[in-house]
Amino acid sequence: MAAIRNTLLLAALLVLLIAVPPFLGLGWQNALVNVLIASLFALAFNLLIGQAGLLSFGHAAYFGIGAFAALHLMIAIEDGFPFPTPLVPLAGAAAGLLIGLIAGYFATMRSGVYFALVTLAIAELFHSLAPRLEAVFGGESGISSMRMPWSDITFGSMLEVYYLTLAWVLICGLGLWAYTRTPFGRLTLALRDNEQRVRFLGYSTHSVKVIVFAVSAMLTGVAGSLQAISNETANYSLFASDVSAQVVLQTFVGGSTVFFGPVIGAAVFTLFSFLVSDLTRSWVLYQGLIFVLVMLYAPSGIGGVLQHHIRNRRQLDWRPLSGLYLLALAGGVLITAGTVFLTETVAVLFGEEYAVARRNAGGSLPAYELFGAHWDPTDIFTWLLPLVLLAGGGAITVSTRRHVTAFWNRGGGSRDTAARPVSLGGAA
Amino acid sequence: MTGTNLDQPALRLAGVKKSFGPIEVIRGLNLDIRAGERHAIIGPNGAGKSTLFNLISGMFAPSAGEISLNAQSIAGLSPHRINRAGLARSFQITNIFHRLSVFENLRIGVLARHGVRYGLFRPVSRMRQVNDETIEVLTRVGLEARSNDPAGDLTYSEQRALEIGMTLTTGAQVILLDEPTAGMSREETAKAMDLIRTVTEGKTLLMVEHDMGVVFGLCDRVSVLVYGNVLATDTPERISANREVQEAYLGQEAS
Repeated sequence: MAAIRNTLLLAALLVLLIAVPPFLGLGWQNALVNVLIASLFALAFNLLIGQAGLLSFGHAAYFGIGAFAALHLMIAIEDGFPFPTPLVPLAGAAAGLLIGLIAGYFATMRSGVYFALVTLAIAELFHSLAPRLEAVFGGESGISSMRMPWSDITFGSMLEVYYLTLAWVLICGLGLWAYTRTPFGRLTLALRDNEQRVRFLGYSTHSVKVIVFAVSAMLTGVAGSLQAISNETANYSLFASDVSAQVVLQTFVGGSTVFFGPVIGAAVFTLFSFLVSDLTRSWVLYQGLIFVLVMLYAPSGIGGVLQHHIRNRRQLDWRPLSGLYLLALAGGVLITAGTVFLTETVAVLFGEEYAVARRNAGGSLPAYELFGAHWDPTDIFTWLLPLVLLAGGGAITVSTRRHVTAFWNRGGGSRDTAARPVSLGGAA
Repeated sequence: MTGTNLDQPALRLAGVKKSFGPIEVIRGLNLDIRAGERHAIIGPNGAGKSTLFNLISGMFAPSAGEISLNAQSIAGLSPHRINRAGLARSFQITNIFHRLSVFENLRIGVLARHGVRYGLFRPVSRMRQVNDETIEVLTRVGLEARSNDPAGDLTYSEQRALEIGMTLTTGAQVILLDEPTAGMSREETAKAMDLIRTVTEGKTLLMVEHDMGVVFGLCDRVSVLVYGNVLATDTPERISANREVQEAYLGQEAS
């Protein structure tokens, strides 16, 4: 029953992914390619943190390696090497696997913080070496290539790149899902729960960790090579720590304990940057705020919250709950409005343009424009508005949260302790 | 069972020493565990019982001396090698996979015995033999009804039973149980004793135990550990009659 329903859901999603993009503009097609690549990257990363319990802070290394390996193969194809373009990501997989085996051998000698630090150091190693290794990484400007046609496909349009990416992401995603059902996949979970006991049951935990790490690096390499195919270029900035950090944020916001959680996080963040980065330069700050809020109030991530509600959907009394959630949403909108207003006001007032305007106005504080209206910084109303929004939104959210917590504690849901700190009832 | 000579001890410790910095916890200990016997280690707190278990199972390497399993040296080997050589242990503090189901907790060990350690190309649900054997162990430790529950949700005594079950899964012939009845009520202890008796049938058992009732009811021989050395090894009856032991250990309990 549940299996059939899930299959149908996935099939519907697949139909959407195949049928919709031809009707979208180039910008959206490109954004969807980025969503797919980020999804695979996050899924591969989550194999380590979600399943094996290993937090890597340096997955940019394998993403970058995959991208460069793919570009070198593409350059060879340009020069006449007979290799089908759709299979270029195999180069990323092979390079990711190889480097993952070597790096993983050392990184997994330790666990916890030490593991995280070693992975960070390995990525930094690539980041600092790449600009100097002209032949491999093309120096600071990086290397570029062209997608060559294969059979009847020219790979000239973004749509063709989209379908190629979709195919690879689906295959790898299915592979990862199948992995969780193999003996080794179950062993990976056991490792997360209790490494010591695994050792006393006759397994060399170091070998197990090296293999998990290498599989994760291999699929990360595939994601990197898909990015290389899409962009037709790569430089050393792919090894930067913000690439490593981004996948950590996406995975945790999406929910590392749910298999598809990282996909949700990857989609949310990629689309967020696509939609908001043109509107405001503060989008990175907003992204950080989203991360902090999710970690504080829904540590199991968006996927964890969804899963919790889906699991308990029959026992739940939806009418009062949806009312509460609507109220919480209203509170959230008010808080968001207040925060955005304050952030953008500060951005304007301390910006260069306003400094010029001030000089022209003889040092006084002239009115500024924001959201299509004029605001006077000396007017108390300008400051009162966001404060009222924040206070009102805060009051609504706090009291709603109390009710939601009480609702769940009353047994609105089952005693599913594993995923209980949920949504606004986070402190419950 | 193992086809080894019955005169040859299943487990032999000769001149084993272990120091942590300047403190010598195990001081040239000699001990023979006969194949097929149930052997208890008793002793006051700080006598070195847990350290002894950790040395035998590979958690620590001994500072000096020899440990052999069926005449094969295992001193200083890593835990997974010692397990594969045929020795499994349980832990005093419950040491399970909390978020996995009870069934999966047991299956990890069964998979290890079947050598499917790095199986990546077949779903585990199709491995009939492995799953059947897991069910067999599940039934033996009486946890059939909890098969699909997360191990972290079990009651304390159920977790202790699971702990024993996991120790059995890898098929080891020598079983080390570290205080298997600690913290249990009287009825739970009685049940646990029955369980241990049946599941160690035909195997060699070495256990640390504080409860003298369990020792008398279960074990063929007892060794008394005091200050990192074996004070005496004998049948439970003769040990309890031993004046030296009474002074060192049993006397303390009584007072």
